[in-house]
Amino acid sequence: MTINTPVTDARPAISLRNVTKTFDAGGGLVHALDDIDLDIAPGAFVSLLGPSGCGKSTLLRVIGDLVKPTEGVVEVNGRSAEAARKAREYGMAFQAPGLMDWRTIRRNIELPLQVQGVPRNERRARAEEMLELVRLTGFENHRPRQLSGGMQQRVAIARALAFQPKLLLMDEPLGALDEMNREYLQRELLRIWRSTGTTIVFVTHSVSEAVFLSTEVVVMSPRPGRIADRIPIDLPYPRTDETRMTEEFYHAESRVRTALHSVLEPVQVG
Amino acid sequence: MALRESLAYAETPTRAVATNAAKAKQRQPRRVSRQVARSAAVVVGILVGAVALWEGYKAMGQLTGDVIPFTSIPLPVSSSDYAMPHIWVIFDALMQPANAGTTQSLLVYYLDQTSVTLREAGYGLVIGALIGVVLAVALREVQFLTRGVLPWLVISQTIPLVALAPIIVVWAGSAGMPSWIAVTVIAAYLAFFPVTVNMLTGLNAIDPIHDEFMQSINAPRWFTLLFVRFPTALPNLFTGLRLAATASVIGAIVGELSAGTGLGIGRAILTAAYYYSNAPENLFAAVLIASLAGVVFVQVITIVEAIALRKRTN
Ligand SMILES: Nc1ncnc2c1ncn2[C@@H]1O[C@H](COP(=O)(O)OP(=O)(O)OP(=O)(O)O)[C@@H](O)[C@H]1O
Ligand SMILES: [Mg+2]
Repeated sequence: MTINTPVTDARPAISLRNVTKTFDAGGGLVHALDDIDLDIAPGAFVSLLGPSGCGKSTLLRVIGDLVKPTEGVVEVNGRSAEAARKAREYGMAFQAPGLMDWRTIRRNIELPLQVQGVPRNERRARAEEMLELVRLTGFENHRPRQLSGGMQQRVAIARALAFQPKLLLMDEPLGALDEMNREYLQRELLRIWRSTGTTIVFVTHSVSEAVFLSTEVVVMSPRPGRIADRIPIDLPYPRTDETRMTEEFYHAESRVRTALHSVLEPVQVG
Repeated sequence: MALRESLAYAETPTRAVATNAAKAKQRQPRRVSRQVARSAAVVVGILVGAVALWEGYKAMGQLTGDVIPFTSIPLPVSSSDYAMPHIWVIFDALMQPANAGTTQSLLVYYLDQTSVTLREAGYGLVIGALIGVVLAVALREVQFLTRGVLPWLVISQTIPLVALAPIIVVWAGSAGMPSWIAVTVIAAYLAFFPVTVNMLTGLNAIDPIHDEFMQSINAPRWFTLLFVRFPTALPNLFTGLRLAATASVIGAIVGELSAGTGLGIGRAILTAAYYYSNAPENLFAAVLIASLAGVVFVQVITIVEAIALRKRTN
């Protein structure tokens, strides 16, 4: 047993009940989410996996209270998602880095701390720490446009972590990175997660990334967006690069891949 | 093994920093000085272009007997030396004494008067810009103002300036204020509107991702306004300021025409028009100086803009 195994009798960190989201997109209704029930245990690392347009980003936004569900209830640590957002419990990283051009890299990372009213010196120290974590030390006084897309995404991750949030919501944060930095940041993300006990919901397109990181992989199906399968990943932590080469890893990957293919099949046939 | 590989692969920060920082250091002042050079070129270009058009028109009129070539349609303006003095006559007039009994040249006199006008326009621009920015923020942040006030602002700009200017002058006079204050008020009145409109557009144009991020960290409204909306709107603000600079110079000149004092280039234009039959070139000399002053005024704003936004793009 490792420390991150969810404790079954604890109250879930995130709980969704009958969550439905329809968008009125100019004439036609889009059922982005349909009757989602999902409990995520405190300290879990849950990946959302599924074909493009199946509602992964929407689900993440509903959890983060950036989008209100059409129906259903979202609770975070026993209260509403809105209350959790107002209490600044979320750290978020989106599909695009979304850095601010008029701020240096360091001041971009400091922004959430500035909102919290963290004193200047402490802000600066935390930003340096976060930059070191994403391996961008020395770039604090650069502007976002002077960095490559992948480097900008690493800054966005640092910005989300600077908050030391209780919940991390990440939408394909590593999608734009090359394999080397991607695997490095996967390991770093696991290290941060294990040392902080943060609950993480993580959207990805990569089966092996989902398996390597997660305590559980949630496979979603499109039109309407539903949960097709929930696959616990029982590989022990700490997971290292050797883990990727084990037979257990391969089996877990195969199970996820099979679930994903059964979701994709109707699309390929039709 | 894997670690060493990835370390070697990661950008070597120190070297990248050194070169990038050096590049950035060169780039920023160069951008500003490039804008200064561009502004100077604009001023010279406008001057040369105006001279060429002027003399070209005159030469064509003389050749065709004041009709459009190959037609019998008369030219809108006669090319005679009375209606359109030669450029060198105008320049020469600038070098002559301004009045009988002084040694001060007309050029120096006009520049003196222009500095009065530009001061009025400058104050008007600053006041108008402040009002414009405050209004834009109010219109954005207070919902009912957008519907209730914006139409009135539009109407305020449709009142003919020539009708409004004397009223403001009279009111200021009856309040015991010097006439340059009335002129400044007129300049500000014309300047605030383009600032409001452009600033409002900019404040509303923030990147949706920035908006979502600020929501996710539950940033207060004022914080997002100050640290996200304002920086986003800065380029729009300068667009508005450039339009406002032109408007404030026009406002100051028209204001001077209505005001009772003998100061300002607007006043000098009026006087030169009055004595036109004696010395037509004086009127054109005054208009030339006033126009150049307006162009230079706007270019100054453009240079300030280049300084303010120098770190944004590369
Ligand atoms: N604001 C919106 N207005 C209208 N329709 C929307 C909106 N946001 C999402 N949708 C629709 O909802 C569906 C789910 O979108 P979502 O972005 O959640 O998918 P996704 O799984 O994140 O896809 P991807 O993997 O490509 O990022 C899509 O059909 C999309 O067109
Ligand atoms: Mg998405």
